[in-house]
Amino acid sequence: MKLNLVIAGVGGQGNIFASEVIAQYAMKKGYNVFGTETIGAAQRGGSVVSHVRIADGPIYSPLVPQGQADYLVGFEPMEALRYINLTKPGATFLINRSQVPTISINMGLDRYPEEGEIIKTLSEAASCGYAIDATKAAAQMGNTIYTNVILLGALSKICPQLEPEGILEAILGRLKPKTHEANRRAFALGQELVSAPEAKVL
Amino acid sequence: MSEKKFLMGNHAIARGAAEAGATVVAGYPGTPASEIVEDYVQYPGAYVEWAANEKVATEIAIGGSLCNQRSLAVMKHNGTNVATDFIMHLNFTGVKGGMVLLSADDPGANSSQNEEDTRILVHTYGHLPVFDPSTPAEAKAMIKDAYELSEKTELCFVLRPVMRICHARSIIELEPLPDKLREPSLENDRSRYVMSAVAEPAYGGTLRPVIRHRWLNQKQEELSAIMEESPYNWIEEGEGEVGLVGCGIGYSYIKEALEIAGKKLPILKLGTLPLPRQKVIQFLRSVKKVLVYEEVEPVVARMLREIAYTEGIEVEVLGRDNFLPPEGEMSATYVLKSLGQVVPSFKDDLPFAHEPIPVPTRIRSQCVGCPYRGMLHALKTTIRKNKGIVTGDIGCHDAGSFAPMEVQSTIYCMGSSIPMAIGMAKTGIDRPIYAMIGDSTLFHNGIIGLLDAIYNQANVTVIINDNRTTAMTGFQPHPGSEVNVRGEEAPYMHIDKIASAMGAKVYYIEPYDIEATKNTFLEAAKEPGTKVVIAKAPCFLRSSRLGIKTFPERVVKVDPERCNGCKVCINDFGCPALIFKDGKVHIDEATCVHCGLCADVCKRGAIK
Repeated sequence: MKLNLVIAGVGGQGNIFASEVIAQYAMKKGYNVFGTETIGAAQRGGSVVSHVRIADGPIYSPLVPQGQADYLVGFEPMEALRYINLTKPGATFLINRSQVPTISINMGLDRYPEEGEIIKTLSEAASCGYAIDATKAAAQMGNTIYTNVILLGALSKICPQLEPEGILEAILGRLKPKTHEANRRAFALGQELVSAPEAKVL
Repeated sequence: MSEKKFLMGNHAIARGAAEAGATVVAGYPGTPASEIVEDYVQYPGAYVEWAANEKVATEIAIGGSLCNQRSLAVMKHNGTNVATDFIMHLNFTGVKGGMVLLSADDPGANSSQNEEDTRILVHTYGHLPVFDPSTPAEAKAMIKDAYELSEKTELCFVLRPVMRICHARSIIELEPLPDKLREPSLENDRSRYVMSAVAEPAYGGTLRPVIRHRWLNQKQEELSAIMEESPYNWIEEGEGEVGLVGCGIGYSYIKEALEIAGKKLPILKLGTLPLPRQKVIQFLRSVKKVLVYEEVEPVVARMLREIAYTEGIEVEVLGRDNFLPPEGEMSATYVLKSLGQVVPSFKDDLPFAHEPIPVPTRIRSQCVGCPYRGMLHALKTTIRKNKGIVTGDIGCHDAGSFAPMEVQSTIYCMGSSIPMAIGMAKTGIDRPIYAMIGDSTLFHNGIIGLLDAIYNQANVTVIINDNRTTAMTGFQPHPGSEVNVRGEEAPYMHIDKIASAMGAKVYYIEPYDIEATKNTFLEAAKEPGTKVVIAKAPCFLRSSRLGIKTFPERVVKVDPERCNGCKVCINDFGCPALIFKDGKVHIDEATCVHCGLCADVCKRGAIK
């Protein structure tokens, strides 16, 4: 067993929480886990990328090397594109469709790529792809804070190495009991959204 | 029974120091090392503090050491620069209780204003032994050993983890904490602990610094013998005449790269300075060519060449000075790409699926709701009017130097804003000079510059952004925070009282009032001498997490009839909650925190 995950997003999306949940789950399963994150001033509009590596043998580097990611999860679509060189041939991508433009894009100095362009480019590097609007779904639940749990629900549905029950248990284990019910719903919503035919983009 | 936990490298390092019984821990916040000090408060019996700066932290640590306690000074590479003056004395005196200086390097400068290699400062320059870990687990083992060896050799040991060790997360085995901690005691030894150019009768009148220098030089042999036996250096057999040398995390990247390629090359794994000379000689003799992977300067590569030359070994040493990319962070890919140029068979093994593609970069900005955005905007409009120059400093407000703010003309290192402003003002340049600095930076090193400005009567306006915390590195308290590292109440250093006691005229501003702030900036610059303008507003991000309101909420809306799409609010003010769509500005409700400042910036009154 060997699984390399890359979760790319922007500050405040709960990216590191998600990577820790996956790591806790894998550790409980008895696997070796190694990972790291690069936080470009996360709370101040920067990119955040987490690397999670799971194996039943030794893992040497905390970073997923180029061409070795089995799953590329974009909590923000353009951020997924930024790490396209990490994907392994045959990889799967999962993106949150909600875009977070940069200040330079707002200023008109840069251009945010069209969603179609992003999916097309990601599709060249992967063999399977999903897109859901987790931020919008979370907002409809009442708080965008659920974005990461929705995405974890979706990921556990499409990644056979991550059993949904175990991932949910790891999520709830890190949260206050009064929030459990809402997070259960968010997790189930993610599973449901990714199962819809329109979510499968590759 | 031992327990296993999934820990960040910094937490593993703190645990290692605690298992070794370190009881005096001091540091200054700096990514990637900050979590070590914060984490240490959980260990019983230890004195832990956020020191005013890294030199102070190092001095505190040796104070503990001389009282026979194990101690730890924590900093990032820039901080080690600040502490260097003291390091260049403690290397001569040696230590009593085991002492470790932890200096974290940031190859790739993911969270730093420069890229440098601590090993040069502490080893090449200071002759102190260094451990360079390849994994978080090894870092933990190393710091425990460092305490034993520090006491054995009487030398301060340095642990130099890189960011990928500090911020890696892995499964760490916890061992028990000591049952009993030592009682403190001080044994006077003035011939060591009094550093002075005094003649020593016992050494025929030789001056003390020369004797201590000799002691330090003689210690190198003892260290070399220790490193020869060290469990952190070893040779791995492999095929071919090209050998790989992996220093610290370089070893991990080599192993990863070879696993990807499915090949086995000879490896020399190094984790110590000084080097294990005999092991190095044995390895160099076994190959024709070596590639040296180290972060971030060619320190070991040059040592290997020196050894090869002295021993008459014919081997080509390829390092970061003559072959490998000399800047930036290494990776397994870095190893594979370089190997592809040296060992032809590696070329076919690169599993790259896709080349990296250009994607718009995310430039750091002030948080939505940050008081600095109002202050920076006021300063920007001020200097547009009076042609002022702004020297900047380290902290969140440094993002004011990027687009769209572009206020500060300079940013160097901690505390440099004020002295640089003095230098500019004293040239006689006919423009108002502003120096902008944060509270934590002022206490760290800035206060000396302020004193200098007042004493030398420099016409400088010093803007002090007092947000009551070290926000940039994750809200660590400082002497102006009223709490200590444990969150307990602590004496408050009044910046205004300090400044006025030193003789500066003090102004106050409310950074959420852009117009009044601008007027104060204009007025202050007209006064002769050194003026201090204090922008007192707590960090919004920290306050919002604690549920504290820092400004009266103003819910504003864009009137699409009045908005002509001039984009002043975006191109000049740059709040990330403002989005431009279909020729008009829109407020992103999910992001907006209702500070209402954009309404003050819009000259057409389209935001109300």
